[in-house]
Amino acid sequence: MCSVHDTVEFEKRGIPSTTIITEAFKKAADFQFRGKGMQGHPYVQLPHPVSNLQPGEIRELTLRFVDEVATHLKG
Amino acid sequence: MNERVDEFEFFLEKDWSDGFPVVTPTEERIARMLTGTKRNHDEVIGPIPPGMEIATVRNVAVHALMAGCRLEYLPVVLGATELMLRDEFNVNGVQGTMHGVAPMMIVNGPYAAEIGLHGGNGCLGPGFRANATIGRAIRLILMNLGAGIPGVSSMTIFGMPSRFTYCLTENVEDGPWESLSASKGYLPDDNVITMAMVESPRFCFDDVSDEPDRLLIGIADTMTSMGSWNMHARSDMVVAMGPQHAGICANAGWSRADVHRRLCELAGRKVRDLKGGGNWRRERALALPIDVDPDDDDCFVPTIKNPEDLQLIVAGGWGPCTAVCHGWSGGSRAVHGKYQV
Amino acid sequence: MVNGLGFVDPTAGGGKEIILLAPRPSNLSGKVVGLLDNTKEQADIILQTIGDALCEQYGVERVIIRRKEHYSKPATDEMIDEMAKQVDVAIAGLGG
Repeated sequence: MCSVHDTVEFEKRGIPSTTIITEAFKKAADFQFRGKGMQGHPYVQLPHPVSNLQPGEIRELTLRFVDEVATHLKG
Repeated sequence: MNERVDEFEFFLEKDWSDGFPVVTPTEERIARMLTGTKRNHDEVIGPIPPGMEIATVRNVAVHALMAGCRLEYLPVVLGATELMLRDEFNVNGVQGTMHGVAPMMIVNGPYAAEIGLHGGNGCLGPGFRANATIGRAIRLILMNLGAGIPGVSSMTIFGMPSRFTYCLTENVEDGPWESLSASKGYLPDDNVITMAMVESPRFCFDDVSDEPDRLLIGIADTMTSMGSWNMHARSDMVVAMGPQHAGICANAGWSRADVHRRLCELAGRKVRDLKGGGNWRRERALALPIDVDPDDDDCFVPTIKNPEDLQLIVAGGWGPCTAVCHGWSGGSRAVHGKYQV
Repeated sequence: MVNGLGFVDPTAGGGKEIILLAPRPSNLSGKVVGLLDNTKEQADIILQTIGDALCEQYGVERVIIRRKEHYSKPATDEMIDEMAKQVDVAIAGLGG
């Protein structure tokens, strides 16, 4: 999946980066990070699916993961 | 063969196995397969996403061999490998998608007949070596070099039978019109492959209609459903008219272009018939590259958003049937090009 | 690929370059965050929510958002290069 590619490209340019995925794509994300030479790169998994959630529900869900995002981006 | 290793079990246990035995790739067999091309064996074709292993003429030949191809089929496999790597086809996306679409290969031109590619009765099923093995070679490349493996990098929910193999030619003998490639401007002697990212076919049986208007209404109906991504995104579609159905239209004076145009006009649903189930979302309708008013129940949402997206062919045996292959939401555009024999 | 088996094994894999993690800042205060939206449904809301929360909770100075052409295609080098010049950290979504 291409968000993994994008994160790797940022890292190659010296920009700390993480990816937001839904949990159904965990295996694909693990595979892609490994294949691109960044095995074990941290990413954030949201519960799947999100496509049927209303905007308010999405925001509420996402806020629970902000600290995790920050952890992946800073030392 | 090494008696300690069962060659068939060796390959059947690979993560990238399609579940069927392969022809064991020995150096002798590979060398013989490579005589099927004039191209340099080390020529790079390109990385196959998402695994990004590099396809070369040699390793494409190895996959063609394993699939069971004759050496004469190699030019088609090489041409298809190159073609599917075009950006707009988006193999990278389809390798990971939850959908089950597969690259359908429609091969036109004189070489197709020469190597025994089949476009008549049973052409999308078992029984025809060229059809079966050329399509299979592409799938083995996608699984091994591209790592498009379910549960690893591929999230495909069901896969689809067409992910084993999906290759045919048109029914030149019984078809009343010019070929798909000719309709795209190629010359009769050009050897051309068209590839579209579509599902396995669903059928429109109609042994009642004896004129085009009613016939095409039924076929157009098969081109829509609440759960079809064609209704909710811009997407390609293949319609393979059996020669009997095509003949009904041709005998009434309709050209291929006439039928193509009419199917684009007819196929679709009104908002009221889409929004009650399936993949309908207001936001999706508004994101379509055509004007759709999701708040107008009488607004007609056409299946085909751009006439280029409908690949109309004549294939199959004699009988009252047309095959319709729905598409994907992943932004793939069908590709076509000449291949070197 | 040729081995003692007597036949060729064309199984792919191995030999990938290892890419090292970019050095991380000690905190996000005063930093510029890039959000790369792949246009998958809900990606925009998710990324915007994260961006806003990082500003409020972690002192991020500002957020730059870019949208890709289609969710199943990688961002162009040009887009990544352009963002990389302007941001300190980046978040890509939504995979899946």
